[in-house]
Amino acid sequence: MEINIRNIEPSQKEYIEIGCWRVNERVNEIVRFIKLRDGHVEAYKDEKQYRIALSDILYVESVDDKCFVYLTDDCYESRKRLYEFEELLPSENYLRISKSVVVNLMKIEQIRPALNGRFLCRLSNGEDVIVSRKYVPEMKEKLRGDRR
Amino acid sequence: MKDKLKNMLSSFFISVTLINIAMLVLGRLLRPDQQFGYEVFMYPLIYGLIGMIPALIVRDGKELTVRQTLIREAIRMVLTVVLLVAFIFGGNPIEKDTVITAVCVAVSVVIIYVGVVVIGWFLDKKTADQLTEDLIRFQEKQQNL
Repeated sequence: MEINIRNIEPSQKEYIEIGCWRVNERVNEIVRFIKLRDGHVEAYKDEKQYRIALSDILYVESVDDKCFVYLTDDCYESRKRLYEFEELLPSENYLRISKSVVVNLMKIEQIRPALNGRFLCRLSNGEDVIVSRKYVPEMKEKLRGDRR
Repeated sequence: MKDKLKNMLSSFFISVTLINIAMLVLGRLLRPDQQFGYEVFMYPLIYGLIGMIPALIVRDGKELTVRQTLIREAIRMVLTVVLLVAFIFGGNPIEKDTVITAVCVAVSVVIIYVGVVVIGWFLDKKTADQLTEDLIRFQEKQQNL
């Protein structure tokens, strides 16, 4: 595959164009990757609005009808619902692990047992999030992928 | 639901095995000369079923933290002890010998309960280690895309 990079004027809008015979899974993967790198979400902290890169998100938690976006050292509130995050975040790297949490799989360092068939995910910032028993099979399937 | 049932069945059979061992040890210590009929094979199953009742009563409505889960397990354990002691000794006259046996049974139930939780934890640890391995492989694959 040939890759062309062309410099454009600062006044012009940046873009990425893919030339392909047909849109197959490989092309879709590239698109998802670009969207992940380029994607962002609006969130709030101290009544100020911030743009947060999707790839920086560790996990999103829903508490009492409010959604909180957790980064390595920060937490922001979002006006989106958890199901909207599930749709917005690329499904390759993000997974629902309980009724209230969607986690970034790329930010998990270790998985440990909790009690009663549940698991704890140790994240890159040292925080732990719980994987409910109900969501364990989905996690297994996701992580095993084509190894099954 | 399927996973909960699987988990309960797994706990049940681990309990039954440990109850068998406890009956053997307690019987040898407290009533070495006692003889039983075939019905004795039913007891571990019945005790195992009684032990499952607290798990059905004390249910989690929301996602519990590890500390809350530990507290819930302690409550379930106390309930199991009360239920089993009441089932085995309920209606018997309170004598010194009965009290000693009841205390031994209660201690055995606690040991069995903790045993079931510990065995379950080790089984989960095996799964967790496998998940961590799969996770590392998954992350490498995603990074190399």
